[in-house]
Amino acid sequence: MVSFILRRILVSILILIAASFLMYVMVGYSAQPLQDLESSNSPNKQQLIDARVARLDLDVPPPLRWVLWLGGVAKCAIPFANACDLGSTISNAQVVDILPNALAATVQLVTFALVLAILLGVTIGIITALRQYSGLDNTVTFVSFFLFSLPAFLVAVLLKEFIAIGFNDFLRDPVIGGTALVVIGVIIGAIWQSLLGGDRRRRLVVFLVSGLATSGVLLLMSATGWFENPGLGPIPVILLVAAIAAGAATLLAGLRNRRALITAGINAALAIAAYFSLQPLFDVSSAGTLFILALATIGVGLVSGFLAGGYDRGQNMRVGLVTALFSGAVVLLDRFMQSWGDLLTATNGRPIATVGSKTPGVSGDVWLTGLDTFAHLTLPIVALLLISFAGYTRYSRAGMLEVLSLDFIRTARAKGLPERTVIVRHAFRNMLIPLTTLVAFDVGALLGGAIITEKIFAIPGMGSLFNSGLERGDLNPVMGYFLIVAAMAITFNFLADMAYAGLDPRVRIR
Amino acid sequence: MSTPIGLGPTPPEVPADELAAANSLPESQGRLIWRRFVGNRVAVASIIVLLAIILFSFSAIGIGPIPGWWRFGFKELNPQVNGGDPTLSLLPQFLGGDGVSLGEHPFGQDRIGKDYFAMTMRGIQNSALVMVVLGLIATVVGVVVGAIAGYYRGTVDAILMRVTDVFIVIPALVIGSVVGHWFGSLGAPVLAIMLGFFSWMGIARLVRGEFLSLREREFVEAARVAGASDMRIIFKHILPNAMGVVIVSATLIMASAILLETALSYLGYGIRSPDVSLGLLISSNQSAFQTRPWLFWWPGAFIVSLALLVNFVGDGLRDAFDPRHRRFKLSKMRETPPEPELEPKP
Amino acid sequence: MSIRGKLFRKSLSGVAVLGVAALALTACTTTGSTDTNTDTAGGGGTVTVAIVNDFTSFNNQTPQSNLDTNGIIGYLMGNYGSAFSYVDNEFNLVHEEEFGTFEKTSDDPQTVTYTLNPDNKWSDGEPVTADDMLLSWATQSGFFNSSTTDPDSGEVVTGTQYFDLAASTAGLDTTALPTISDDNLSMTLVYGTPYVDWEIINPIGQPAHIVAKKAGLGSAADLTELIMGLPKGDPASPAEADPTFKAAADFVNTGYDVTAFPTDPDLLVSSGPMVPTGWTPGQSFTMEPNKFYVAGMKPKIDKLILRVIPDANAEVTALQNGEVDIMYPQASADTLTALENTGADVLTGDQLSYDHVDLNFGSEVFADLSVRQAFLKTIPRQQILDSLITPINPDAEVLNSQIWVPANEPYSDSVSNNGSSDYAEVDIEGAKTLLAGATPTVSILYNSNNPNRVDTFQAIQESASQAGFNIVDKGSPDWSSLLSGGDYEASIFGWISPGVGSAGISQIFSTDGGGNYSRYTGTNDDALLTQITLDPDELIAIEKRMDKQMFADAYGLPLFQLPGVFGVSKRVSGVEYMGNQTGPFWNFWEWSVNE
Repeated sequence: MVSFILRRILVSILILIAASFLMYVMVGYSAQPLQDLESSNSPNKQQLIDARVARLDLDVPPPLRWVLWLGGVAKCAIPFANACDLGSTISNAQVVDILPNALAATVQLVTFALVLAILLGVTIGIITALRQYSGLDNTVTFVSFFLFSLPAFLVAVLLKEFIAIGFNDFLRDPVIGGTALVVIGVIIGAIWQSLLGGDRRRRLVVFLVSGLATSGVLLLMSATGWFENPGLGPIPVILLVAAIAAGAATLLAGLRNRRALITAGINAALAIAAYFSLQPLFDVSSAGTLFILALATIGVGLVSGFLAGGYDRGQNMRVGLVTALFSGAVVLLDRFMQSWGDLLTATNGRPIATVGSKTPGVSGDVWLTGLDTFAHLTLPIVALLLISFAGYTRYSRAGMLEVLSLDFIRTARAKGLPERTVIVRHAFRNMLIPLTTLVAFDVGALLGGAIITEKIFAIPGMGSLFNSGLERGDLNPVMGYFLIVAAMAITFNFLADMAYAGLDPRVRIR
Repeated sequence: MSTPIGLGPTPPEVPADELAAANSLPESQGRLIWRRFVGNRVAVASIIVLLAIILFSFSAIGIGPIPGWWRFGFKELNPQVNGGDPTLSLLPQFLGGDGVSLGEHPFGQDRIGKDYFAMTMRGIQNSALVMVVLGLIATVVGVVVGAIAGYYRGTVDAILMRVTDVFIVIPALVIGSVVGHWFGSLGAPVLAIMLGFFSWMGIARLVRGEFLSLREREFVEAARVAGASDMRIIFKHILPNAMGVVIVSATLIMASAILLETALSYLGYGIRSPDVSLGLLISSNQSAFQTRPWLFWWPGAFIVSLALLVNFVGDGLRDAFDPRHRRFKLSKMRETPPEPELEPKP
Repeated sequence: MSIRGKLFRKSLSGVAVLGVAALALTACTTTGSTDTNTDTAGGGGTVTVAIVNDFTSFNNQTPQSNLDTNGIIGYLMGNYGSAFSYVDNEFNLVHEEEFGTFEKTSDDPQTVTYTLNPDNKWSDGEPVTADDMLLSWATQSGFFNSSTTDPDSGEVVTGTQYFDLAASTAGLDTTALPTISDDNLSMTLVYGTPYVDWEIINPIGQPAHIVAKKAGLGSAADLTELIMGLPKGDPASPAEADPTFKAAADFVNTGYDVTAFPTDPDLLVSSGPMVPTGWTPGQSFTMEPNKFYVAGMKPKIDKLILRVIPDANAEVTALQNGEVDIMYPQASADTLTALENTGADVLTGDQLSYDHVDLNFGSEVFADLSVRQAFLKTIPRQQILDSLITPINPDAEVLNSQIWVPANEPYSDSVSNNGSSDYAEVDIEGAKTLLAGATPTVSILYNSNNPNRVDTFQAIQESASQAGFNIVDKGSPDWSSLLSGGDYEASIFGWISPGVGSAGISQIFSTDGGGNYSRYTGTNDDALLTQITLDPDELIAIEKRMDKQMFADAYGLPLFQLPGVFGVSKRVSGVEYMGNQTGPFWNFWEWSVNE
């Protein structure tokens, strides 16, 4: 195992070096870092050209300059010396200094997009697999092909135009009109009936109930001015938490499992208690507080599951964990919503942003800044995740269908296991195995897609570093970008292999 | 741009009755695949529409010196008619419209009076060209590299796969930008060829995976015993059996090629003016989104249609080649192959 | 029941876990919710402006930091270009007499005296004195430099290069060591040779007391003493570098380059109306009024935020969404319409950069005057303007002078008799007559990555072909490096008119000028004469003569000025159009927020 990892790291470093040579030479020969000076009519033009040539060693041909650059990079390998030298930009900023900020912005974007794309894609993929050839399946198939064929910047432009500006305009006078209510109700109803399925009568009932309920709630929200001053309030919180507890127990253990029900119940009760008792603490919370609370939530979930005992403690702990996390999220969501008013004031009533990753000058508690970040990053993340979302739905749907047709599933069904157990405990895990490989590739695609997303949403991340560097013929930031992106691609590939080995018992790493 | 080049959405499965039919008839492999493909209505319709669009674009403004039936060329400057607005009218008179007519410039004109219909057609031509040329080059290079690596295994394989890795660690859009920055001004064919030389990695891995398993099969052994040369075994015996994987991934590369070119044009590294590509049209007119939306929507609609149609065709092909649920194996694109590092437990 | 017992145990352990967590929590909270954007103290409000490039340095005078955004921050901080004077939007140099005065006291030798108002202070409370002016002179004049550089690698071979400058030292390089008055408030410069653009010199840059501190000196006075004692640099026999002065210069050269908001408050010291208060790299730069500023450019607003948005379309949506108040993007006609649709105020005008067609006098084809004239006659300037510029700036006109832009006062006078009227209309017949049946081949160099140039080329190609010219497309993304090679007959590219000052003229129109890619010799003597003519009227007469000569020689044709568009939200008033690189910022002190 250790020797395998060491070998992989060594090979990866060699690959990285070779790829960096390729990249350096290609960019080096295509770049025109002197263009702005060559076409200027400044009297000391030659002097300025000389200065830039001297500072960036432009008189050295790219292959040799790569050796110089590599020498600087090699210093990064010296531990704790802080001697990294990735060169400087044309405007004399050390690439080492500008990388961390850019990296943070991009990692934030790409991580959220990746996680959401996987969660949504896999969920929808499984649902469509279980409802194969239904209207829902065909619609999702078409929609995912369609998303797959959309240029990323087209999506981004549309999102800004219709979601950001549209929603902010709506907030100015947040009343949902009658027609809109009906349309939304019909759409939501149609989605629910096709999700739940069943015979015609049942579908009709589901359609009517869900559609009317949605429209009704929206009407209530719009009548009470909820959009200006949102919040869940005690009763919805209790209801939601109860629903989560019931849902988690049903999905993971089945309603007949009493111990699972008890675990879920305890966690739900604790969450509700926390909702009432922790508000004063929330008011003085920092990000660190929230982190500790999250750890505590995980701990409570696991421990309560373990203590509930029974023949399957693992299952109980899962139930506990899922209930605790989701109910905790509801409590947090409620608290975040309470800061919505502050955000509206800070942004002149237009919270959803189209550029940047934070409102300049907004300082406040973790709730306000958190909400502000959310309002800035939602659209770029959606634009980015649409790129890979389609792939996940297609692959997880196909993977699920493939697994369901295998012998061991037939056996599981034959021995009388409920369908829930067959899907959740047997099929799901096996379906995930091939997806690990897709994740590794997807990271590369997302990092590439971030170049475009960052440009459109004016987020100063790695992508904009690369793009502006390439445009100006500024080699060093481009190479800094390359180093990080290539290293991430290699790392994710490696992790995917590890995950593959972990999930698939037939594979062993030597 | 979406999933890596060569990976696409997976197919719906083939209904059982078709499967049974396929298994019971003693047909040749090729005919079988053809029958399955023709049975897929969506795929057949897609390929017909796709070819129709491409033929339409070539017939409209011609190729090189051969003129087409449309009265304007894509570089010609014309006087502004109707303020550059599209003159196309589809609403018949009895519905209160101006009647069905093309008018002088059905898609409108750009700011210096070039006919936007001609430009869009040229854009389709160039996008199709990029798609086909990039797809072919990537496929040929990928097949050769993958076949040699998979067939010879050992050192040859190790070296070729490490070379593949060197190319694969750079995201497609990044390497595309650099290539486009360098070669974009040399015209669409050169750009497509150069991009093709940087897009073969996915297909090489897939083909290698196929070869690794196919080379152990009896028919290969038989050919070897009969004294066939390595080249003959690779290209005459093994490759035809791996054609499914090759054709399917080639289609998917083509679909992503269109989107890659579009993204490059947006960043300014694609085909350059005065030549035209759909991506260039849409990105140079993105500011017209609110004001002269037709400049944005015509090329946009064609980009989406081309990519969508190619994806549907690829999907249909995959069904046709892969009737049982064996399907496109992601594991064959893994950086680390199942052996030597990873191997099944006994 | 056993379950109940377990339930009890579980609840208990749950409580225990919570207790531990609560303990940990107390160590990790903030002190109540902090203020939320309550910085409208003065009631002047906040104005947000979209900019294209990020900030990189508090010293915008070095070769690596001479960028638009740095220049704007410098303008707001009073460095080089806003202390003694500023340029208004009609390109007049306005003296800012509340800060200080300057005047030419003698023509022979040319002598200029700068006198500071005694109340001026830096934003750290230190007074602004002649020490600061002397440092600025030392920086801009290159007086002490003794370096020789290797032409290939650009490295310094012998001697010492103290300050790295983006601007040319021309003009100030002939001045002698200045004299400083006893009250330490005025400085007198004596020029060795007359210098036409003396009025543009604005000798306030970095604070001398900070530079002195960074060089290890006690005070600004020590730095002045050091400067006064140094010998003039002589590249022929370079003296030993002075280590203290070198340290001061190195600090000025690179010490102001930053990648994050500096923790060292010394870098933020400003003599101008505003001080930097925050910077999130890549996103926003914040400035607030300088409490110590007493001169006339006092801002009415409380806070200025510069928001980095590289993409013009993103700027429009941001303005529409209320995220920025002012934007001045590289405009297209659609940007203009989109802006108008957002309900913002739209200001349009000309930029100082203009595109022009130049003929290569070194080529055989254009050695003949009639061929040059014939070619120029085919250039459809009005058509190019109508399709590229008028949609953005409805008032745009074809540019008819090689020297001035319409915003300059002498323009209209010069245009009426410089001979540009010969090329007012496309004259294919006239061109054919001049060519007399010949079909010369003309290759045209332009930047193929610039859509304006590509469209201009296509229009010229179409028109010139009708007269019998055989036009070859030499468009290239590498056009800038091909420009000096001369392997073309004509070129389409842009110059930036300075708006104020005449130093650029000899660059372009003298035989050995660095910008004379046309190998044109017809105006050499006059171009050199402009550089040493101090009488404004005489200067204009010479420039008019040059303008006329160039049209007579068929030098080439100016095409159009690039159009500029400002979008201004209804929240803000007082913004006026400005065509130079200062953009809307030129009159920032007049901005106010309507609430």
